Amino acid sequence: MSLVELAFVVNGESVTLSVPPFATLLDVLRDDLELTGTKYGCGEGECGACSVILDGKVVNACLVPALECEGAEVLTIEGLAFGGKMHPLQQAFVDHGAIQCGFCTPGMIMAAYALLEANPSPTEEDVKRGLEGNLCRCTGYRKIVDAVLSFAGGGA
Amino acid sequence: MPLEQSDRYLAPHTVQEATQDAAGQGAAVLAGGTDLLPRWSKGVVKQPDALVSLKDVEGINGIARINGEVRVGALATMSEIASDPIIRDAAPVLANAAGRIACPQVRNRATIGGNLCNASPAADTAVPLILLDAVLDIAAWNGSSLTAREVPVTKFFKGPGATVLAPGELLTHIRFKPLAAGAYAAWDKFGTRPAMEIAVASVGVAVRLDGGTIVHARVGYGSVAPVPMRGRKAEVALMDRPLSAETIERCQAAARDEIAPITDVRASEGYRRDVVAVMLGRLLRNVES
Repeated sequence: MSLVELAFVVNGESVTLSVPPFATLLDVLRDDLELTGTKYGCGEGECGACSVILDGKVVNACLVPALECEGAEVLTIEGLAFGGKMHPLQQAFVDHGAIQCGFCTPGMIMAAYALLEANPSPTEEDVKRGLEGNLCRCTGYRKIVDAVLSFAGGGA
Repeated sequence: MPLEQSDRYLAPHTVQEATQDAAGQGAAVLAGGTDLLPRWSKGVVKQPDALVSLKDVEGINGIARINGEVRVGALATMSEIASDPIIRDAAPVLANAAGRIACPQVRNRATIGGNLCNASPAADTAVPLILLDAVLDIAAWNGSSLTAREVPVTKFFKGPGATVLAPGELLTHIRFKPLAAGAYAAWDKFGTRPAMEIAVASVGVAVRLDGGTIVHARVGYGSVAPVPMRGRKAEVALMDRPLSAETIERCQAAARDEIAPITDVRASEGYRRDVVAVMLGRLLRNVES
């Protein structure tokens, strides 16, 4: 199958690679760029485990054809930590025990990140709405909501 | 390293190029992709021969007021529609429905054109557009020039997953007049949770009263017929009457009678009739208060 060239920016770095025409953004992040923090959950946009920020908006990477990202900027969970330190939102998740098995955590944090970028002072209802596309099968939602609210309230 | 251009992923820049590409054998038109990709991601349905991406096509995005009408580009996303000041002013019922589809991740990608062309009986934007008497602009390439036709939203759907679009025809815009001053329009859907839910049923109603009498009525339903459906009998039950408890009951009975729901994994036929009647009653009683 012929490959197509894709040039975009991932976590601040310009990336150029060749991808099959039907590859998803998730395929490229995980398999080509080895950014496996972004999880493959359902593969059909139901669970939010593959949430990443695409040009400032949270999306399910499994539903975005990679070639739609030509020239775009993508932020994944790996792009949040800075200088060897976790992003304060990540730290808030740790501090609140908002992690059980951890599989949903990267997607939850990216969705929460997008929510807080758009609305720095969300109510509890806003947080629930912001995370409505993200499933936690450990059902640890209470602590996740608390973690996001604590960060919104000025950091944990 | 120059790469061979793929004939399986096409990224036209104009409506004309897009209609020509879309006319190709086995081509699938890609807007937001949120309905399209899950079809083949599990390998149940085979991938189309080619994807025609609309992302670079000029002139079919954005939301504008033109000649007294609201014109929504087919590529406008649900997030854009939900927050757009023109839509929130001229047709808040559409903004409400767009904002309640799925979840933020999907709303940021899913487009109104895709929602309509996917032709789900549960398409959440279809019922508000029925209330607004929306018209759809369709472009096609006839071999020598670009042609245009318009189709009322009520005539666009042919069945589950089927529309009047011929291969190579492209939905470019959705147009409607702003709600008349004093008109009331509302929409609601019912499911087991507020998010990520394909509606068990959805109902919309638009009415305008003059001197206590209903002088304009539109009713629409989703998930209760093979296509999103206009409730003509329910409208007749409302027209030229006061918005009384008796009128609401007549309207509910007409709705229960005219819808054609099926029993499926999400609800039974009878339950859907009940839910539609209850939701319609709630929407109409909200008009009074």
